[in-house]
Order: sequence, then C-alpha cells, then structure tokens
Amino acid sequence: MRVVIAEDETLLRQGLRLLLEEGGFEVVAAAGDADELLGAVDAHGPDLVITDIRMPPSHSDEGLRAALRIRSERPDIAIVVLSQYVQRRYALELLGGEASRIGYLLKQRIADVGAFRDDLRRVAEGGTALDPEVVAVLISRAGRGGGDVRRLTRRQREVLAYMAEGRSNAWIGQRLVLTEKAIVQHTSGIYDALGLPVTADDHRRVLAVIRYLDGAAD
Amino acid sequence: MASDWSAPPLARSLGAALTLMMVLGVLFAALEFALLLPIPPEFWVIALFPAVALVWFVAGTIAWRRRPSSRTGLLIWVGGISLLAGGLLNTGIQFGIVVGSVFATVIVAVIVHLLLAFPSGRLPDRTSRAIALAGYFVALVLQTPVYVWGMGLFAPAIPANSELATIGGEVQRWAGLVVVVATAVVLGMRLRATSPGRRRVLVPLYGYGMASVVLIPASASLDVALPVPAVVAVQLALIAGVAVAFTVGVLVGGFERTAELEELAAWLGTESGREPLRSAIARALGDPSVELVYWLPVREGFVDEQGIGVDPPDDPGRGFAVIESDGAPVGAIVYDARLVGDQQRVQAVGRVAAIAIARERLTTELRASQTALRHSRVRLVEAADRERARIAKDLHDGLQVQLVLLALEAGRIHDDAQVEAVRDRALHLRQGIEEAADELRRLVHEVMPSALVERGLVLAAEDLVDRMPIPTTLRAEGLDAPLSPTVLNVAYFVVAEGLANTVKHARAASASVSLTREGDVLAVEIADDGVGGTGVHRGRGLAGLADRIDAVGGRMSLRNVPGGGTSLRAELPCGS
Repeated sequence: MRVVIAEDETLLRQGLRLLLEEGGFEVVAAAGDADELLGAVDAHGPDLVITDIRMPPSHSDEGLRAALRIRSERPDIAIVVLSQYVQRRYALELLGGEASRIGYLLKQRIADVGAFRDDLRRVAEGGTALDPEVVAVLISRAGRGGGDVRRLTRRQREVLAYMAEGRSNAWIGQRLVLTEKAIVQHTSGIYDALGLPVTADDHRRVLAVIRYLDGAAD
Repeated sequence: MASDWSAPPLARSLGAALTLMMVLGVLFAALEFALLLPIPPEFWVIALFPAVALVWFVAGTIAWRRRPSSRTGLLIWVGGISLLAGGLLNTGIQFGIVVGSVFATVIVAVIVHLLLAFPSGRLPDRTSRAIALAGYFVALVLQTPVYVWGMGLFAPAIPANSELATIGGEVQRWAGLVVVVATAVVLGMRLRATSPGRRRVLVPLYGYGMASVVLIPASASLDVALPVPAVVAVQLALIAGVAVAFTVGVLVGGFERTAELEELAAWLGTESGREPLRSAIARALGDPSVELVYWLPVREGFVDEQGIGVDPPDDPGRGFAVIESDGAPVGAIVYDARLVGDQQRVQAVGRVAAIAIARERLTTELRASQTALRHSRVRLVEAADRERARIAKDLHDGLQVQLVLLALEAGRIHDDAQVEAVRDRALHLRQGIEEAADELRRLVHEVMPSALVERGLVLAAEDLVDRMPIPTTLRAEGLDAPLSPTVLNVAYFVVAEGLANTVKHARAASASVSLTREGDVLAVEIADDGVGGTGVHRGRGLAGLADRIDAVGGRMSLRNVPGGGTSLRAELPCGS
C-alpha cells in the first residue's frame, strides 16, 4: 500500500515512516507542510494519506484544510488525520456526507503499533476510524439532556461507541468476548431504541450513528 | 457659545460706544447729504458718497462688535470717515472742497492697510508697516500737486500750473503702483504659508481687495468709454464691496465673538458648568485653533490633555507661548501666529489663566500616569499570554512528541518481544507513557486550547460547550472579524472559567454561553439555572480573570438572575 505522510516534527515523521515500513506499507513521500503534502498527493496518487492538523507556516489548521481538499478532489484516496487534540467539529467536517476512507485519531494512538496499523488498513479498505475520545464526547453530549441514549444498557452503549469508531461486528465481538451473533442482537437493540435504519456497511453505520448522536444533543 | 454667559461689563460698554458712534456716523452722513443738495439729475452719483460711507460704518460696527480684539472694525470705520471726507469735495463750499481734495484717495491707502493687517487688524511686521505707511504717504502727501497746481485751490497765492500738476500726478501714480505691487508680494507670500482652511477665506478677500486697489484709480481712464457718473458709480460700488468683504472675512474666518482679558478673568472666577479652559482661551484670543499643552516635570516635557507628549511646533505659523507660574513653567499656549500676531497678548492671556492652567496640568499629570499604568498592565497581560503560549508550544512540540515517540518505542518492543514477561512490561510501560502524554495534553490544552489557535473563539467555545455534562447552548453574533490575541485569550478564559464554575458549584440543569460583538465591545455571558450564589467560593477562580479583564479595559459582573441561576458577564473593548 502506497502512503504519503505529512508531519512537521522530524522525529515523529521518521518514527511514523519506520512504523509504517515495518508493517509492510510503502511510504512514497513524507511532507513537512500542507503545500508539500498536496504536491506529493498530486505527484504520487497514493492509496493513503496520513497528516497532522497543525503545520507550518501558520501552525493553525492547514493539515485539516489540506485533508478536506484532497477528500473533495480525490475521494478515492483514504485519509487519516492525526492530532494532539480531537474535537467534534473537526470530526463532522471530515466525515462530511461520506464516512468511507476516513480516519481521525489522537496522535498518541500510533504507540499501539498493531492497532494503529489495523486502523490504517481498515480506512484504506473503505472503512472508518474515529478516535474513542471524540466518540465519547459525542455520546456524552447526546445523553446529557436525557434522550434515548440514556435508555441504552451499559453494554449497548459500549457497542454503540465501537460502532461509531467504525469497528466491525466481528471486531467488537472479539473485543467484548462475545459471539458475533450476540453483537448483532445488541446492534438491533440499539437500532430499535434509537430509531435508526439497519445498514449493512460499517461505514454507513458510522455515518448514521454519528448523525444521530450529533442531532440528539440538547 | 457667546450666549453661555451674560455679557460682561466690558462688552456692554463697547456695545454702548459702538451705538453712539453709529448714531454720529448716520448724523454726519445725513449732514453731508444735506450739503450736497440740490443735486442736479445728471450728478445723482454724488449722493452715493454718504451712502457708501454709511455702508462702511455699518460693516465696521459689525466687525468691531463681533471681534473686539481685532482692529479690523476700527480700520473700516477710518475708511468710512475718509470716504465721507472725500465726498465733501462735491459740496461746493470752500472748506468742503479743501477737505475733499485732501482725502480724495485716502480710501485706497486704507484698503491697502486693511489687506495687510487682516485678520488681526494689526500690522504684523516691519515690511507691512512700511508698505501701509507708504500707502498713506502716496494718498496724502503725493496728492498735494493735484489740488495745489491742478485745481488751483490756493489760486492767488499759488497759481495753477498744469505742467507741474501732470508731473505730480505721474509721480503719485508710479509711487502708488510700487505700493500696490509690494502689497501683492506680501499677500502672496502669506497665502503660500497659510493653512488650506484659512486660504479659502483669504484668497477671495485678497483677490477682491487687490482688484479694487488697482481698479479704483485706474477706472478714471474709463471715462472715455462711459459717462462720468457711471464710472464713479462703479468705483463707489467697488469700495462699498470692500467693507462688506472684510466684515464677512472676519465673520466667516471661524472667529467667534471674542472675550477680552477681563471676560476671561470673569469666566475663570465662575466655578460651575463652565466650558473647557481651552475654548475660553481660544475665545479670548479670537483664535479657534488654540491648543493648550501642559508641562510635566517628571517627563521634562509638554503633554496634551490626554497626557501624550507634544513638542513645540516647527511651523513658523504656529506660535508657542510658555506660561509660567511662580517662575516655573506650567504649560504653553499654541496659537495661530499669523492670526493673533502679538505674542504680548498671548502672554497676558496666559498670566490671567496661569492658575487655571496649573490646575488642569495636575489633572493631566494624573491622567498621563493613569494612561501609562493602564498601558503597562496591558503589556504585562500580553507578556504573560505570550509566555504561556510559548511554554505551551514548547511542550506541544517538544515533550509531547517525545512522549509519543517513547510510547511508540515501547509499543514496538512489545510487538517484537519473544518473552511473555517482557511483552507485559513493555505494554505497561507504553500505557504509563500514554497516561503521562494524556496528562500533558490536558495541561497544554488548558493553557493554550488548540481550537483557539486553529479556528478562533467561536470554535474553541464550542469545544468547551461540547464537553459540558449538562445541556449547554452557544450563541455567537458579530464575530466574523478577527479579534486581537489578547481579547481572544481573555474571552476564552472567561468562558472556560464560567463553565467550570457552573459545573463545580451551581448544581445547574442547563447553561448557556453567548458571545456578542457590537461595535467595539465584545460581550461574553455565561448563564446557568443553578442554585445561584455569587459568594467567594464561586468567585475565587474569577479573581485572576477579573484582573486580566480590568487590564484590557473591560468590565466583569457576576450576578444572581431573578428566579434562580447565575450570570457571569464580561465586556471587553475590542476596537481596532
């Protein structure tokens, strides 16, 4: 898999490259700012882009803006945005109308090397990877005014969070040490409680859940 | 402005004197008119002499009343008298003919004098004094050949001599021309040096005055083309216009009815409801452009009313009179040197106003130190903000990255390790490092929220609201234009602290945040429906914030909302 990295911290850029190459990814370019990133994407047409949000020259949100641009111009390229801090607004902007081929993770998630590589592969194959922290913000925000999310069981809320992160039923089952069938039961319970339509694709499911959570607040 | 105070004694006595003069003027004009009777129809024009003189009297009286400190009114009166005297020529009586002949051209010299002395009515320098004097010399002394030899006024003793009269006339004409050219040069130089506003008044006035000075003597040669009465009528119309022009010049030149020194002193004696000292001095000097500056001993320099340093002007058109009290400078009056002319008068005004200036100076001194203090507080806040931002950036770019890299290394050891115990310990190590990174991330975020850096106040506030455990709404209005980093920071921390207080103390069911920019004020309000209470335990975290708000010139209030709940409101100035 061909990857372009954008990260202005040299050490972290090297660490990322190493981690990817050891995992069988092919790093075709490593950019230090948003302009370099856009240039590298044009030049290499990679399968996956991994970018930091805050980069030179203004150290504001140029990485995010570059990601949104690539997403609208080249929807076939998978993008994972890394950041020191995650927030709801950026997650919604990145998802847009399509939760496929997109990831938004805390930078420190790269330390769990195996899980991080899995997230990258899932996104590159058309899936979604939303950071647990931003999902937690969404769920707590949806539940704070009362509402249907509060009526879910603890286990159902756990499953809901994993669904929002973009996990498959198989993964959730493995994680919770349950059969996939049990997970399907949980998900249909959640669908009923929240009044969501049943969807087959994991990434469509993400979009439906996120939209529900974002709209349920207050 | 003039109606603010009842007319002081001096103004009243001036008014009485002017009224008396006006009555006398009308009487003499009527007397001359009577002497001219009967007027043959073809010489109707001679009746205009007393009429034009009356125009000058009225104009002079208005100018004098409206601007008692200027001598323009007096000069216009002199012109009127000379016109009346010149008109006696046509009365036919011997005395009248002599006086009329002597004063026939004095009006031209008076116009030259008026031009050179406008607007103060005083001749400001030696050159203009010499030119005015030469004008009177040409009009009075060089006039003698015209009536002695030309008209044979003293016929038996000195017989008429047309040759000498012609020579005398030529000499007077050429000397007059020299005076006119010199006047034109002086006026031209003044126009170049004057301010654009004053120039708008002076250009038409000078133009008209110079045109009449040239045309009045020259129009005598028009009599080949026009009948004599018509030529004289044109001359008299021109002359009447001059008086009107100068009076209008005095009135539209931006001069208010001027108080004399005594009026200023009377004004200083009143205590309440008075206008600023500057305006009083401006009126006393008849110069609306007067500025007052104050001596500040600590800076060893002059400052204006706002406490901002001022240097004595380089412009020669601006006079600078230092005012002293007890031998030490207290301030200075900056004035229009061309308008006021006489430095002595400014000093006299300054002596009368010295005590008041000294008092204003103390106020100014206080204000200046206050301004300096406020600026220094703003600088401190800005420096603290910068320092915090720098520390946060260092942590973000340095330590945080290192922790991520260390965790990554621990993660790789975990993946590569063959021994189960090593795998476990590497995993624990990685999780420990991740926890430390989490802590650091929170710390950095509290000091320098990334949303504030990346997207500004509204998005940063939205992130705070997103993380509230109770339903919280956010409303933002008029925040499209960027805010200064200082205001941005203070506003954000007001929201953060206000929401933190609500969570900690209010036991509220819901909260709201509103950010509204109206003009140059950013209002930040955090309200909740909790148990209220504005006690110390709620305000402690706000104390540091209150200092910052105060330093940037804002206000903060914490109050109980009727029906329960608390509202924290801060108003921050955010002008450009």
